Amino acid sequence: MSEATSSPNAALPNAQERNNAVPGTSVAVRAVALAKGYGGGDRRVEVLRGLDLDVAAGEMLAVVGPSGVGKSTLLHLLGLLDRPDGGSIELFGENVMPWTAEERARFRNRSLGFVFQFHALLPEFTLAENVAMPLLIGGQRRSSAVAEARELLVAVGLAARAEHFPDQLSGGEQQRGAVARALVGSPRLLLADEPTGNLDAANAEALFELVQTLHLSRGLTSVIVTHNEALAGRCDRVLRLTGAADG
Amino acid sequence: MSVLHLLAGRYLLGLRRRTHVAAVSAISFGAMALGAAALVITLALLEGFQATIRAQLERTGVHAVLRPRSGRSLPGGDWLAALRKKHPDLQVRALTSSAVWCLAGDAATPATLELADTLSRVEVNRVLAARLGIGSGSSLTVASPVLALTPLGPMPTRRRLAVGAVRDVGPGEDGATVWVPSGLGAGLVIAGGPQTVELRAPAPEQAWDVASRVHSDVPDGVDVVSFRDLNRPLLAALQLERAMIGVGVALVIVVAALNLLCNLALLAAEKRADVALLAALGLPPERVRSLFLGLGIGVGALGGVLGTAFGGSVAYLLDRTHALPLPRGVFVVAHVPFRVTASAMALALAVSLISALLASLVPARAAARRDILEGLRYE
Repeated sequence: MSEATSSPNAALPNAQERNNAVPGTSVAVRAVALAKGYGGGDRRVEVLRGLDLDVAAGEMLAVVGPSGVGKSTLLHLLGLLDRPDGGSIELFGENVMPWTAEERARFRNRSLGFVFQFHALLPEFTLAENVAMPLLIGGQRRSSAVAEARELLVAVGLAARAEHFPDQLSGGEQQRGAVARALVGSPRLLLADEPTGNLDAANAEALFELVQTLHLSRGLTSVIVTHNEALAGRCDRVLRLTGAADG
Repeated sequence: MSVLHLLAGRYLLGLRRRTHVAAVSAISFGAMALGAAALVITLALLEGFQATIRAQLERTGVHAVLRPRSGRSLPGGDWLAALRKKHPDLQVRALTSSAVWCLAGDAATPATLELADTLSRVEVNRVLAARLGIGSGSSLTVASPVLALTPLGPMPTRRRLAVGAVRDVGPGEDGATVWVPSGLGAGLVIAGGPQTVELRAPAPEQAWDVASRVHSDVPDGVDVVSFRDLNRPLLAALQLERAMIGVGVALVIVVAALNLLCNLALLAAEKRADVALLAALGLPPERVRSLFLGLGIGVGALGGVLGTAFGGSVAYLLDRTHALPLPRGVFVVAHVPFRVTASAMALALAVSLISALLASLVPARAAARRDILEGLRYE
């Protein structure tokens, strides 16, 4: 059994973190005493236990650590895809804990952008439609949503692929499309779970550069889970989660 | 177009070689359409036969009967004349009946004798004609239980009569009857006033209203038996037959709806990763439920509408073209009759829609309740 920990104070960068600077003055993400476990009884596994975390507005935070340590769990909790067993989360000053499923869905649609390692795009839709999907879910008209999506596809270098379906795109193109989708509608927080996990080194480098560029140009707050230490080192700060023996 | 319409449309179209979703949707659609068509055609067939039976009842039967509430004879007075005067279009026939024996040649059969005051000739029904082997122009002898004193002692009163016409029998009528004008049949029945009055409207379709028309024109002590009450057992049997067969055939739609449920559950399982991604992007659970409900109801409703239209068209064409002949002399009609009614079509549509709705509820709820992370982890 392992527990999720970082440095003595998870809210602060540990000794291995390269960048201690906090670019913004306001806190975009605040997690206090965050706890999450899976299973029950003797098989219960506590993945996160008492994690405190602040992410400043405009900061790019990398979350690294071995498999099973709780990186993705942390991301899912911050992305309102799951509820913690204990502790609290504030996003942009709002306590999200009492929110209903509808309110959480609305917040995800308007303020969060996700990039996942798998299931980047919906297979029945063109790339432009995939990128426009958050806007369509938000109730925007299809024509204007797709037009907005096309602008983002230009920014990620996929303008020529707008009418292609996912199975006509390479893995790198699919992930760039997923980044475009994550940024459509101008979310405030970008959450990426192993966005380069399925890509070769060159494509991973290109994708990370793209994310970094968009992060800066759009004034985003970003939390990126990765196994890639080199890429993590290029973020503003690195949060290292470590496994430890229970007890 | 909302995102739900867009999603449903793409799933049903089966783009990008994902034709199995479109295929199972087409199977569900076809099953619902076939069920609805079967129900409409069956109800049209039943209605066709039953309308034929009702029309024959209206054409050959009595439309209303006046009979004494107690006692053997109707009350006296001039109310019957007043009734005839007030309703000149109605055929009003006062009857006095008696059990008699009818004889012709070597044949003899018990029968009911009806003395009718408005009749001008002797008439027999087809049952009596068949039993005695007689027809219009033949003669028969009626032997009445009214005794006549003869030199040999009391003997049944006998009278030889010429048959003027043979009447058709109504559905289920199997008794032999002879109708004799009152003047001609005097002495064949025990003296007394008429026992019943039969009423007929000039047009068969008016049969159902005759009782209500005359209800206020009869004195106390006289019951008015309507056309519906006269034929209540048969009409109730027809209605029960229609209901039971209708329910039986409607089960085809229920089976089709179960197929729809299975296919929706499969679709929800197949698309669980996509649905989880959509939920992560902000599609609320309520709209996930709406998506699958819409898919189910859409397939069911479309199948129901097209099946109903198809079934109605087939039944209409079969009736119009007399495509299914029946042996002459065995049935009262020469071809299998179909009668498409708005109520049958509305019933098929309603059963399709309700079945599709109920079948969609479970998979839609399951899809909406599914954990997002579980879906994102699913491959």
